Amino acid sequence: MLKVTDLHASVGDKEILRGINLEVKAGEVHAIMGPNGSGKSTLASVLAGNDKFTVTSGSVTFEGEDMLSMSVEERAHKGMFLGFQYPVEIPGVTMANFMKLAVNERRKAEGKEPLTAAEFLRLMREKSAVVELDAKMTSRAVNEGFSGGEKKKNEIFQMAMLDPKLAVLDETDSGLDIDALRIVATGVTRLHTPQNATVVITHYQRLLDYIVPDVVHVLYKGRIIYSGDKSLALKLEKEGYDWLINDYKE
Amino acid sequence: MDVTKLVEQGLFQLFEGVRVDDGTDLSKPLLVLNPKSPVVEVTTTERVSLALLCTDSVSSKVTLRLAPQAKCSVALLCLGRGVLALDVEQGAESESRITTALLSDATLSYNVRLLGERAASEFDGLYIATGNDHCSVSLNVRHEVAECKSRSMIKGVAAGTATGEFRGLVYVAKDAQRTDAEQQNRNIELDRSHIVALPQLEIYADDVRCSHGSTVGRADEEAVFYMRQRGLSEADARRLLLEGFVQEVAQACDVAHICRMMAEEIDKRLLTI
Repeated sequence: MLKVTDLHASVGDKEILRGINLEVKAGEVHAIMGPNGSGKSTLASVLAGNDKFTVTSGSVTFEGEDMLSMSVEERAHKGMFLGFQYPVEIPGVTMANFMKLAVNERRKAEGKEPLTAAEFLRLMREKSAVVELDAKMTSRAVNEGFSGGEKKKNEIFQMAMLDPKLAVLDETDSGLDIDALRIVATGVTRLHTPQNATVVITHYQRLLDYIVPDVVHVLYKGRIIYSGDKSLALKLEKEGYDWLINDYKE
Repeated sequence: MDVTKLVEQGLFQLFEGVRVDDGTDLSKPLLVLNPKSPVVEVTTTERVSLALLCTDSVSSKVTLRLAPQAKCSVALLCLGRGVLALDVEQGAESESRITTALLSDATLSYNVRLLGERAASEFDGLYIATGNDHCSVSLNVRHEVAECKSRSMIKGVAAGTATGEFRGLVYVAKDAQRTDAEQQNRNIELDRSHIVALPQLEIYADDVRCSHGSTVGRADEEAVFYMRQRGLSEADARRLLLEGFVQEVAQACDVAHICRMMAEEIDKRLLTI
């Protein structure tokens, strides 16, 4: 589904991604871990098409198509979803209004008719249940005045609404208490099917108790330096990164 | 806009008097059309809703006096060119809640004097300047006595080659201890427009909570990226963001019917950008 080959990206003169190779197939869950500043969030941003970062070399294909030449919204229409580490507040724009546009733009790109008002309401009600989101939230402005937990639940709610093929979740677990973590993680697991794929970026093993990964990667200084199965996350939790990164320190 | 129709439909009642007291019928919002220099005195403690609607070019000065414990909501919608002044004087424990939208080449000077303890003032104002317009809003919020509260939010949008201006002053007199004052100003500059903002605090009391802030910028690029990531086109994202920014003012309006008119007129005005 997603194939990243020797991807290099910088912000200004600073190279942050220094040759990423990653292949994610349908039905898989990948976890990307790594110390602060290793480039995890940059990778997520570059995959989504944030023009703050410049891709200097390498390629990214999504279902065989060159993703780097697509605009941010084209990637979204093809089924790429980014769960933001810091969801943005949009004053004066209601969740319902925002989601209606988002869902219908995706449908338009797929050549489908827009949802009727009744169909849309039904979809919102059904999907807000996935993350136990209070249905009243949808009449509030996007993320405005939401607590940390509500913002992250809201990301997963949007994911449920848009039904992406590939979801990249950037530290969806940061700033969550145990209950919110359980709800968010259970929501993600419920949305997982053999047809879609999930990449979770996280610092902590605890998220992976709920979202069980097929592969765990360690990102360090802009490269994936080690990959393993789910037991790698437990080992990292116990022993830290030192045993891995010593060889790479400058 | 056919205003006589609004009255005939029974949405408002035209107000030409001076005093709003216990005998005044308050079942519908009071409407003053294209005001000149009315002085309105509110002596009842029932909540009063007052709509000021300017459809022609106007030069007006509206004075509002609130007796102790009076509560008054005012919505000012200015669709024509205008030079407007709104002076509010408030007695003890009175409340004013004012929403204004300048949707043409217009100038508003808003002055509120909190003269009785525990008076509260809330103000949400918007202007949208396009073409060659020059819009300006100046605020002078004066805390003369102790324990009063004021909050104001002024938003400006300029497009084309228009210019905008904000001057804001919060004044806290020496004896106005335990004042709680907040003044915020947010501006969006589009195209080749230019906005000037001059927020000021003048405080003579020592036990107060005062905050102010002012920003001038283009659209929030992070929000644009967020919306595009969900599938909105860049143009839609920018339009929705701007709509949200300006419509917050109409959402703050609590005078029946005119809040809806305000939202519609703001939308119409946005289409000219």
